[in-house]
Amino acid sequence: MASEYLIGHTHELPPGTHKVVTAGGREIGIFNVAGRYYAIPNNCLHQNGPLCRGAVSGTIETSAEAGWKPVWAREGEIVVCPWHSMEFDITNGRCLAEPRRRIPTYAVTVVDSEIKISIP
Amino acid sequence: MSAIADSTLDGRVPKKLPKGLKVIDVDVHAHETPAALLPYCDMPWRKSLELITKMPERYLDIPFFAPQMAVWSPPFPQSGSERRQVVTSAAQMRKDLDELGIAIGVIFPDNLLLLGALRDPDYATALARAYNRWLVEEWLGEDNGMKGAIVAPSQNPTAAAEEIRRHAGHKHVAAVYLPSCCVEPLYGHRSYDAVYEAAQETDLPVMLHSVTAIFPVFPFNLNCFNTMFSAHIASHGLSMVANLLSMMETGVPARYPKLRIGFSESGIGWVPWIMMRMDKEYKERRRELPFLSDLPSTYVRQMFFATQPIEEPENMQQMATILSLFGGEQSVMFASDWPHHDFDHPNKVLQIPLSQEAQRNILCENARRFLNLKETA
Repeated sequence: MASEYLIGHTHELPPGTHKVVTAGGREIGIFNVAGRYYAIPNNCLHQNGPLCRGAVSGTIETSAEAGWKPVWAREGEIVVCPWHSMEFDITNGRCLAEPRRRIPTYAVTVVDSEIKISIP
Repeated sequence: MSAIADSTLDGRVPKKLPKGLKVIDVDVHAHETPAALLPYCDMPWRKSLELITKMPERYLDIPFFAPQMAVWSPPFPQSGSERRQVVTSAAQMRKDLDELGIAIGVIFPDNLLLLGALRDPDYATALARAYNRWLVEEWLGEDNGMKGAIVAPSQNPTAAAEEIRRHAGHKHVAAVYLPSCCVEPLYGHRSYDAVYEAAQETDLPVMLHSVTAIFPVFPFNLNCFNTMFSAHIASHGLSMVANLLSMMETGVPARYPKLRIGFSESGIGWVPWIMMRMDKEYKERRRELPFLSDLPSTYVRQMFFATQPIEEPENMQQMATILSLFGGEQSVMFASDWPHHDFDHPNKVLQIPLSQEAQRNILCENARRFLNLKETA
């Protein structure tokens, strides 16, 4: 059964910021990406580094549609592990270098400016 | 961009370390700035360091000191890990290694990884001498698990041999570092016999270690590539391959049978490949290598290989298979490469499904034999 944890208030986490909290005995990173809140574990699936202590940025992408020209994309949606620079999509936990793998994401709700996360 | 000033290790000690095991790490890096080496440097080169010290310091890329010639894709925000990537004192190293669960670390330089690129043999020798004095004086003074690798300047093998003999008696000098980046000629050249003689005589192992740079000698003619992705793979791995082939050509392991030879910072996946290629070729061309009295693989099995940067297949069982192809359970040694961008946490090596004995060998016993350390049980 999922447990809900109050981890802070919205004024503490303006857009473009994130912080690491402990909830249910786990370290979890809470991110405000352009007004939407996301939560992922503070553990990189690579070598168990403190992923959410990493910085948030965009990333370089390209595709056939873009004519294979590199573009700077997804500003604010990517967290980069401070240990080995592995990139993760904050919004869905997907690992950019290994798209078949992802880290868990936790549901975040905001009621009356209280941020709560739900941990299974 | 917010650079993180600390190690970010956060006390994440290794899980599942065998009880009582003292981990030996055969590759950690001390940060020797031009300013740090200045007081240890002989004249007239101290005058040069006084000038170089005034130049802005860039990471592993300092004119006249660590010339990397980085021409690769430029950085973007967060394209390199944003944590402290230098260790400037033995006390700081001790603290970091404690957080990594490592008891003993063998210290290699940062900037002098590029020593082989310097052309002036007198200057290169002066830098190596200054580094060795600094290492012994500032890092190896206490019984705190720090071991040192003496830098042997390839540009002057006679002086390199003198450095080995000068420092070999120090109780925490445990190895000789052969700068492999940009080295010319390769380490099979007869001029290095002086170095191997000194190492064998003083019972110190030699460790080859490369780094990335562009230089017009194989395999550093890397202008054929666009990215650090390619250059980094080639400059570490192919440097080890090139030097191993060169050493086999002149029979170094046969002519110095007691010399322990180690290869660092290239992972281990290349070892079975080159070993089997050499055996295949040797059967046809044995007369070119009359020094050898058995297949090249016989000699490779006597050599030592550091794990970092360990290959990371999704199924780590494959790493156990790779180890089995060249007797790696008896010759592979854990290395973290701390604090560099591609350091390996002991956790990764612990993920290889191995017997307890093999795990102990790789995390401790093989390095103990390689370094001839007596104090670790």
